[in-house]
Amino acid sequence: TSQSLSSVSVVSLHPLLLLFLCMCQASAAPICVHGQAGCHFLSLADLFDRVIQHSARMHSISSDLHSEFEQYVLPSRNHIGRINRHCHTATILTPNGKENAQRLAVSLTTLFNQLLFTIVLPLSASCSNLVCSLMVLPLSASCSNLVCSLMVLPLSMQHLGMISNSLSGLSSPEALDPSSDTSGESQAMSDHDLLYCFRRDSNKVQNYLKILKCRIVPENGC
Amino acid sequence: MMWRDVGVTLILSLILPVVAQGARHTPPGKPKLTSCRSPDKETFTCWWEAGSDGGRPTTYSLFYHKENSETVYECPDYHTAGANSCFFSKNETSIWVNYNITVVATNALGNNFSDPVDVDVVYIVQPHTPENVTVGVLEDEDGPFLRVSWEPPSKADTRSGWITLIYELRVKLEEAEEWEEHRAGQQKMFNIFSLHSGGVYMVQVRCKPDHGFWSEWSTASYVIVPDYIPRERSMWILIAVFSAFIFLILTWIITLNRSSVKHCLLPPVPGPKIKGFDQQLLKKGKPEEVFNSLVVQSFPPRSTDYEDLLVEYLEVYVNEKQELMPEGKDLQDVGCLKSKSQSDNDSGRGSCDSHTLLMEKCGGVESKDESSYEEPELLQGQAGSWERLERGDSQVVDTPDSSDGRVKTWPLVFSPSIHGSSDNHHYGTLEMPKQHSTSEITYSVPDHLFPTSTSFPHHHHPEYRDSLGEYSEYRCSRSPSTGVAYHWEARHPTQAHSNFNIRNLERQKEATGLGLPPSRSMEYVEVQKVNQENQLVLKPLSSHGRGPFQVQFGRAGVDYSKVNGVNNDNVLLLQRQREMAEAGQYCNYREKEGAEAERYPTQQQGKTTKDGPVATQLQESTCLTTSGYVDTAPTMPTF
Repeated sequence: TSQSLSSVSVVSLHPLLLLFLCMCQASAAPICVHGQAGCHFLSLADLFDRVIQHSARMHSISSDLHSEFEQYVLPSRNHIGRINRHCHTATILTPNGKENAQRLAVSLTTLFNQLLFTIVLPLSASCSNLVCSLMVLPLSASCSNLVCSLMVLPLSMQHLGMISNSLSGLSSPEALDPSSDTSGESQAMSDHDLLYCFRRDSNKVQNYLKILKCRIVPENGC
Repeated sequence: MMWRDVGVTLILSLILPVVAQGARHTPPGKPKLTSCRSPDKETFTCWWEAGSDGGRPTTYSLFYHKENSETVYECPDYHTAGANSCFFSKNETSIWVNYNITVVATNALGNNFSDPVDVDVVYIVQPHTPENVTVGVLEDEDGPFLRVSWEPPSKADTRSGWITLIYELRVKLEEAEEWEEHRAGQQKMFNIFSLHSGGVYMVQVRCKPDHGFWSEWSTASYVIVPDYIPRERSMWILIAVFSAFIFLILTWIITLNRSSVKHCLLPPVPGPKIKGFDQQLLKKGKPEEVFNSLVVQSFPPRSTDYEDLLVEYLEVYVNEKQELMPEGKDLQDVGCLKSKSQSDNDSGRGSCDSHTLLMEKCGGVESKDESSYEEPELLQGQAGSWERLERGDSQVVDTPDSSDGRVKTWPLVFSPSIHGSSDNHHYGTLEMPKQHSTSEITYSVPDHLFPTSTSFPHHHHPEYRDSLGEYSEYRCSRSPSTGVAYHWEARHPTQAHSNFNIRNLERQKEATGLGLPPSRSMEYVEVQKVNQENQLVLKPLSSHGRGPFQVQFGRAGVDYSKVNGVNNDNVLLLQRQREMAEAGQYCNYREKEGAEAERYPTQQQGKTTKDGPVATQLQESTCLTTSGYVDTAPTMPTF
């Protein structure tokens, strides 16, 4: 059964999400939503540009990590089982085509959140060795930036009335919980696959953001 | 047996070709996937190349399966993309999904699998070339520039944000070799500056997705940059033309006023303006003629003819005893007079100076010449008595007009010595009246000395009018060159000779009969000439004979009074001397100094001014001798 995640409300958020929210609020500059005094007001287009830049940076880091992993670490490894790679985020239904992505644009915000959680959480918890952990550190930093900036998006969009609280097409919450994964699968997931999946997911995020931007603020670059 | 052999050979002949034929056929070689590309991230195409076909027709098939799926699919479209290609349509394409693709070559003998290839469509995107590349030439203040604009390939969906393309263009001159590349980012327009005017440029554009491959270059677009003259240059050209125009105008103006400009810049050197100077003669190269023309006949006075000038020296001695020494030279007299001429350079002063000056002169001469003249005695008295005599015609002396400021004088008479001897030349000394200025001095000269014919050469005072005919005019003038040289200019209209009783050159000792002091003897001398130094060159008359006049001494029965001097008021001081025997008593010569006589104007002043009058007033000297005939002052014209 798929439980729809509630909207991004403080109450129904996952505790990790709450943690990130607190982190973001502490570090990032306050973003005014209601035009309060003393706030730096950023237009939605500017917000999107920021987010897209963060995602692009994340993707580049992940790509470099993956290629370096394959160059230095993987030759000694066995390529068997490569076809059966399963990314832990495969359970999240994400549009794998343009039409699907455009069709599901409304719910993309929640998808982002879920996606990020799936990225951040396994990265921090699933690195089995030191190499992976060291490689993941910059990812987590950029991820935190992305997460923080992504946190604002649904809030602002919800404020603008673009999205509703309803979410559709969401994956099951079991996907969010790492404990739900079979230990065999999660353990089987090698570091290489982890980096591979992370690279792909960052690409997805970036692409989704661009689609969302061109849909919402199609001034330039679309 | 025979049938067995035939059968074997037949079978062999049949089998061998078959066998031989079967040897050339092999399973196909291994194909190889060359590339898979997606132009729009929605479809993709894979190409392979075939290996050896093995002699038999082989077929190729492509099989793939997706990630995490075991289902094997075969290529849906082998033809759209051409030979040895497989085209995946939109329905079969999944993004962010790994495709495992394998090509199988199959022939009759077998098949051969290629190596599998993992493909993720996201990373194999290669768009088409940008479309509608347009190049235009625009201008701004810096010059012309190119503006290149294009559009994304039609298949790539950039509007929805599905694909994000970045562009790149390159430019070069047509004849250049290397391209100049520029990254344009995501913009669809680009400006190129710093162009060569008049050149032909080629422009090409290509694009690339954010994770993908560069497209092919678009077809070249040609553009011609027109010739462009910068505005700065045109401004400079305008300035140059304007200044050239002004320069031409100035040159024209200067050419019109060439002479005046030349006169202003190069003032002409003033030429010589010498009266009588003829430049033409100079150019002919005859300087002598030129300079001869400059010579004024009257100046400088030639030394050969001084008879025209009545410049005579009269030296006055007071000599009691001795006779006047004959002077070998006439110049000695002059020297006496002028030896100390340097003392006073004032004009008008000192030429006919005081008696003392005369004494000094004479004193110097005495020592030189061993003359027996005694200086102090000069003051004391004279041997002779001088009297002013009147002429026979009893013309008053004052007849001469005072307009010319001259005083006619009577010939001076050296009474004592002359009386007795008519043939003797006696020294006659005439006291020089003291005269401060170079005014004329009149002396009374005994008439009989120069009876009638003392006509002197007419000197250069044309105003002199002689009504008596025998007036001589003495002018004590001062020559500027010689200082205090005493010039006696006597002018007598009638006579050519000037006979004065000048100190004779010869001594006569026959003065006794005349009652003159024995020391004094008088002679007639003739003024021969005036030498260079304005000195009278005297010549004793004895050699030449007397002049037309004869001095008849003693006949007139008059006494002569000697002129002592001239006082301040231009008064002749005569010395009355009654008897010559009273030689011991000499009246003191009264000297007056500081005559206020009119200064004899310098010769440079021209003839318009009056010549300084000579003291005319006659006063009786303080020492009067008895029975001396002295003309009274009023008879003498005063000036």
